[in-house]
Amino acid sequence: MEALRVEGLTKGFGGVHALSDVSFSVEIGEHLGIIGPNGAGKTTLFNLINGQLPPTSGRIYFFGRDITNMPTYSRAHLGQSRSFQLISLFPNLTVLDNTMITLHGTKLSRFQILRPTYAYLDLFAKAQEILASIALWEQKDELVKNLSYGEQRRLEIALTLALEPKLLLLDEPSCGLTGAESTEIVDILNKLGGNITVLLVAHDMDLVFGVADRVIVLHYGKIIANGKPEDIRIDPRVKEIYMGIEENAGNTATI
Amino acid sequence: MATDKIREAFRQPWQSQLIRFTPYIAGALLLVILPAVMPSYVQSIWTRFLIFALFASSYDLIYGHTGLLSLGHAAYFGAGGYAVAAIMLHYNINSFWITLPLGIIMATIVSAGFGLLALRVSGMYFLLVTFAFGEALYAFTWNMPWLSTHGMQGIAGLPRPDLGIPGFTWNTISFYYFILVVFLICFFLVYRIMNSPFGHALRGIREGESRMRALGYNTWLYKYIAFIITGAFAGAAGVLFVYYNRFISPTHVGVATSFLPMIMVIIGGSGTLLGPVIGAFVIVFVEYFASLFTPERWPLILGAIFVAAIMYARGGISIHLTRLWKRLDYRYGSTKS
Amino acid sequence: MELLLPNLVNGISFGMILFLIAAGLSIVMGLMGIVNLAHGALYMVGAYVGWTIAVQWQLSFWLAVFVGGLGGALVGLLIERVFLRRLYKQPNEQVLLTYGFVYILSNLCIWVWGGYRRLQFTAPALYGSMDIAGMPFAKDRLVIIAIGIIIAVALWWLQDRTRVGAIVRAGMDDKETTTGLGINLNLVFTAVFILAAFIAGAAGVIGAQLLGAYSWLGTDILLYALIVVVVGGLGSVQGALLGGLIIGLIDTFGKALFPQFAMFTIYLAMIAILLAKPSGLLGRKT
Repeated sequence: MEALRVEGLTKGFGGVHALSDVSFSVEIGEHLGIIGPNGAGKTTLFNLINGQLPPTSGRIYFFGRDITNMPTYSRAHLGQSRSFQLISLFPNLTVLDNTMITLHGTKLSRFQILRPTYAYLDLFAKAQEILASIALWEQKDELVKNLSYGEQRRLEIALTLALEPKLLLLDEPSCGLTGAESTEIVDILNKLGGNITVLLVAHDMDLVFGVADRVIVLHYGKIIANGKPEDIRIDPRVKEIYMGIEENAGNTATI
Repeated sequence: MATDKIREAFRQPWQSQLIRFTPYIAGALLLVILPAVMPSYVQSIWTRFLIFALFASSYDLIYGHTGLLSLGHAAYFGAGGYAVAAIMLHYNINSFWITLPLGIIMATIVSAGFGLLALRVSGMYFLLVTFAFGEALYAFTWNMPWLSTHGMQGIAGLPRPDLGIPGFTWNTISFYYFILVVFLICFFLVYRIMNSPFGHALRGIREGESRMRALGYNTWLYKYIAFIITGAFAGAAGVLFVYYNRFISPTHVGVATSFLPMIMVIIGGSGTLLGPVIGAFVIVFVEYFASLFTPERWPLILGAIFVAAIMYARGGISIHLTRLWKRLDYRYGSTKS
Repeated sequence: MELLLPNLVNGISFGMILFLIAAGLSIVMGLMGIVNLAHGALYMVGAYVGWTIAVQWQLSFWLAVFVGGLGGALVGLLIERVFLRRLYKQPNEQVLLTYGFVYILSNLCIWVWGGYRRLQFTAPALYGSMDIAGMPFAKDRLVIIAIGIIIAVALWWLQDRTRVGAIVRAGMDDKETTTGLGINLNLVFTAVFILAAFIAGAAGVIGAQLLGAYSWLGTDILLYALIVVVVGGLGSVQGALLGGLIIGLIDTFGKALFPQFAMFTIYLAMIAILLAKPSGLLGRKT
């Protein structure tokens, strides 16, 4: 079964089309990388899949179910989990609070009004497990805004994985990280179980080619290539896009 | 075992335990023992403080915790108060066990209604709409003859509540303890709400609504429930206020009253448990002293304090107290496990 | 017809007053992203200052309009420069601050001008009525309408036809790019703020025959202005004009036809818009 299928997705803002007729599908357990120059529509695509924006036209199917008009929070319950390009943890809340809120998101107890959060010992134990595994348990009472960028990114990714989602949407997860930290992420993603599907948007080619089973290239909102990483690497159209951008960005000489 | 690890995490030496309990000991002294030995006019102020502490706490739920700047909060306060005053005036029902629930229900109906419309918009429009609704209720109480005694705006001459205890009469101190009990019950509920998964979710919404939705939270529903809860507690405060003040007028539904919980929360510290209480304490007592010396200029002083607090006292008193407490705990208490 | 005409004139002239206040409020909101709740209080300050000039000191009414505008502008300048400027990027605190100023200004006016009586006044030349096509029209209402039209045209021209207006509209849509183009946006903000404050203060005097000056005028007129902004839409002169006229007419006819529900007709209009088109009739999409 396909984990995700999008058909004819189009998103227009006024006169501009951020996405035009995008169609592709992802098998369960597949790791799909999405690359393309800035402004190609990668984040918009994520916003459509995750529900932050409604499509102008087209349909989205998640495990066979039409979720095109489903609100974001329902998609989380179906098994989507997303990280954002700009770290979107809760800055003025503690590391532990961030974790507990995340863990409660898909549980019915999130509506509980009278029982303290920390009375949910099973969730608390899980929080401890997660934080210990990324060496942040010592900072559990620290406000997230006081953590270093790398620590915040580590936390965000760990939390994105915490709910054992069916579909992982990672938007530039290695943005702002050092080489060593990026390699960590590659390891984490490669160790994921075969029933977790991953969609990865990244500019870091090492990350994409280290993790992806397949790569899609977006340019001006359209898919221009869809294939195995080795094939994409040597695809002349892809080279042209990236070369063209490199040339225009500061070369005075030839065209 | 997970539970063993947890117990380990919370085992602390006795110094830390003492520091942990100091605020509660101080609270008990301040609230229970001290008023008993004060003259009755001070007891009356203490009563007023508790009522406004409840009002301010209800406001903090929607402002400090959920991050929604709602104006016109006195609408719920006044709705609760007017409901009680009206049925006392027209139907002679004074039993506290009827009037309190009725007042709370009335205030909740108002907040549920306002919330439904106000949450259709966000940001600046939300402010305008909540403000307008507050003014609407003000105009309503001004214009309804059913809500006035003898043609004068407002309802006067209201008695103390009837507890259904035979032969019981009120005096200042017994009324204070009565209000204290009601306050403590409400405050305990607020405390539980703030620490519950729901309360945590509200703060998450304040910090990042978009992410909360991506985590699985129906944020509109949370905001709406927060509206309802805040209305209920504000209404409760309004009911207590009517019994305390024995008079209610449209002023208690208008800007001048909406203003009070806002300044209390800012001064005391928003998004905290004790912040609104501390803020209420400061404002009520400063008001008392100001009224002794410059009663007409009190609003100007209040306004100046408000502006100064916004400009300079970021986080409010509560933050500074918490820092102090944490420093003491660090020095004399446990080390982190 | 006898009922219709005076109410129509009253409604339109009231609508013009509302437009004058709402235009400033709406542009400042759209441009600076904050609700200046004290805007209504600026109107009130202008009205009181104008009363002092025109009635207490018996000077020219039109001088009073100008000085009233100045009063509004000065208070506005004080609020913006000394306080709002320091709360950059903190919209909640900015709104709270202006809310505090409503409170402060109202009580200041009680202190300076005392009491709760409503002071209504206008230029002596505008007393009475004049005949147009055989129908009597109140002179001062006609003048208010005329002034409103003139200012509406002037503001519209400023907004849509001048470079300054283009800068303001650009700043509303995208502050960063506009600043990146080398435009001193802070200066523009302050200038817009002061212009809006001046108009509000002057409007306070112009509208004094209709509304007078009293200590809680700041809140009352703010309420009307806010509803106008909700109904008409944010960020444009046209929205403020349309909203102002609608609310002015609804309120006047509402009071004439259903005196018991006088206060609520405008809320009904607001609720209707909230349900049908929350961004307002001519609201810009932000």
